[in-house]
Amino acid sequence: MANRREFIQAGIAASVLPLVVAGGNMAPKQRESHAAFYKVIFDERFPSSVAFGDEWKARGASVHAIRGDITDLWFHDLDYRWKKQGPAAIAGLTAHGPLFCLERLAWEHGMRVVSRVEQSARDTDGEPLISWVIAPKKKSEVKA
Amino acid sequence: MSITPPGVSSKDFSDALKQFEEAVGKEWVFTSDEDVALYRDAYSPFWGEPEERVASAAVAPFTVEQVQAVMKAANEHKIPVYPISTGKNLGYGGSAPNLSGSVVLDLKRMNRILEVDERDASALVEPGVSYFDLYRHIQDRKLKLWVDVPDPGWGSPVGNSLDHGGGYLQPMYRNHFDSHCGMEVVLANGEVMRTGMGAMPAAKTWQQYKFGFGPWIDGMFSQSNFGVVTKMGFWLMPEPDAYLTGTVSVPRYEDLIPMIDILTLLENSGISNGMPGLGSPILGGFMMPPRAPEVTAMLEKDGVESAELHKYAQDKGIPFWSCTVKFYGPEKAIRAQWEYAQEKFSVIAGAKFKDDEFYKFPLTPEQFNKVHKPEMGIPSLEMFSIGARSPYNPTPGQGHIWFSPIIPRTGEAVLEANKVFAKAAKDFGLPLLSFSLPTTYWMRSFIFLFGFPITHDIATNKKNRETFKQVVRVAAEHGWGEYRTAPAFQDAVMDTYSFNNHALRRFHETVKDAVDPNGIISAGRYGIWPKHLRGNKA
Repeated sequence: MANRREFIQAGIAASVLPLVVAGGNMAPKQRESHAAFYKVIFDERFPSSVAFGDEWKARGASVHAIRGDITDLWFHDLDYRWKKQGPAAIAGLTAHGPLFCLERLAWEHGMRVVSRVEQSARDTDGEPLISWVIAPKKKSEVKA
Repeated sequence: MSITPPGVSSKDFSDALKQFEEAVGKEWVFTSDEDVALYRDAYSPFWGEPEERVASAAVAPFTVEQVQAVMKAANEHKIPVYPISTGKNLGYGGSAPNLSGSVVLDLKRMNRILEVDERDASALVEPGVSYFDLYRHIQDRKLKLWVDVPDPGWGSPVGNSLDHGGGYLQPMYRNHFDSHCGMEVVLANGEVMRTGMGAMPAAKTWQQYKFGFGPWIDGMFSQSNFGVVTKMGFWLMPEPDAYLTGTVSVPRYEDLIPMIDILTLLENSGISNGMPGLGSPILGGFMMPPRAPEVTAMLEKDGVESAELHKYAQDKGIPFWSCTVKFYGPEKAIRAQWEYAQEKFSVIAGAKFKDDEFYKFPLTPEQFNKVHKPEMGIPSLEMFSIGARSPYNPTPGQGHIWFSPIIPRTGEAVLEANKVFAKAAKDFGLPLLSFSLPTTYWMRSFIFLFGFPITHDIATNKKNRETFKQVVRVAAEHGWGEYRTAPAFQDAVMDTYSFNNHALRRFHETVKDAVDPNGIISAGRYGIWPKHLRGNKA
């Protein structure tokens, strides 16, 4: 999990910290800004992840649904965005697989997982869901 | 920084890093723990143990000239370097070096697609180009070309082919090293060399004719440590008109042998030109209906040779084996090829046939979402959405390593290998499936792929490592050799290629000493150690 220094480096600590420390409560807090994230990602196979996406959507965030596979999100959106305009923070509530892929792809654009919290909610197979934030490594690189 | 290269003084290391910075720019030399940690192998079987192979630093050049400068500096200071392309070789080592303390030579920034020639159906790319990049380049220009991609498809054509990776299209493309044509290599002393027709400055045939003149040396740069490949040419597959698949099913256990013989004949004759799939409707498994509980009971009792099981299959009318045959080409031609294939398989009494998929290209959006994308030359990461949880692995680990022996392409070999691996599984307490069928990446041989789970539990990993080595030995006793493996096991596997007192390895070492006398490139990769480290093998 990210330490405080990494959060400060990310330049978005104030907006994402409540999400992270909430642990089991994955909904965005009142004072969080949807503008902190270029995209919020949820997995429509899992009710708790769908609820997470709905909450962020209600707050005006740009949300993206996946069904485990991030290929489409990556190929048609994030790869373009990060290559052409530079790093931009994303957040999500997914199983391990999608996060594993996004984390590695984000590394190549100077981004890191700055928060990773295993939630008490589980998918139907009992796999843990993880709430996470991927953000630029340095404040100067943030282009939300 | 937590470690330094072994046998290198801190002054030499620091001087080398300074020279690296001069060559590539300070921001492209990574020394902080946070940055260097990104090069850990996510699937390392030594995760968190002192033996885990970790880098000391990383350097990311942007041009061939910068690679040359880095190599010259590394050679001067005897710094071990470990070139990677995109570092996605998961299951086979990722981006972590064989020798702890090596500096990762990260070629991801060298991501230029130098040429894609539609008339020639070829490409010339740098190591940092991913399959996604090449696919996008082709799609954006609406070229009628397909790239043969592995699954998952986020790696690089250069890295995957150099490690002998495979894909899913026609045989001449799905063996990725076979489908390359020409390379550029930076040697340990910083000199740059081109192979094949690339050695002739005025040649326009670098991506057309592989061999040039004299010994063909491209193979020496695959699964090796003799140079840093900075460009590679590839042959691409012209987009076919259509794709057709059909399934043959045969009723009896012993039908496996003629079924595979006929399949091999069809492939070697160019009649079936897609990657076939083998299955067993009675035994179930991947892409098959679930296995009946009574079948599991019979298998557990007497194995796949169980007379009771054979009778059960006959009585229920469930075929014992099946084979999906695949065709790319003009519709008329591939329908005729499928018809011909059915004629050939009809010599097996009771063989049945079923038409499966048929697509014309380009795919409709609906078809695009439905197909197994790598079979259409489309890179995908979908594999990562499939949970690792299974009855054999109720607590999924953090990854896997592949046990992947090459076996003869016959039904007899498949049955024998299953017997041997079933016994090994029992002896070593392995969770192997009770019967497995090989995959068909290569046209002339079969390959079994068994995943060994990797966890973050040290005791479990230790046990799995030992078992892995034992299984490698058992396979080798039967003549079945690993085609590729993770760094942790490369010495053990190379040991099994022991004909005439390890003449092959000794030859590799002779070459290594000649072309990289300071032993700076990828020490230990595929069991090839430089002179000063031989005898210190992990």
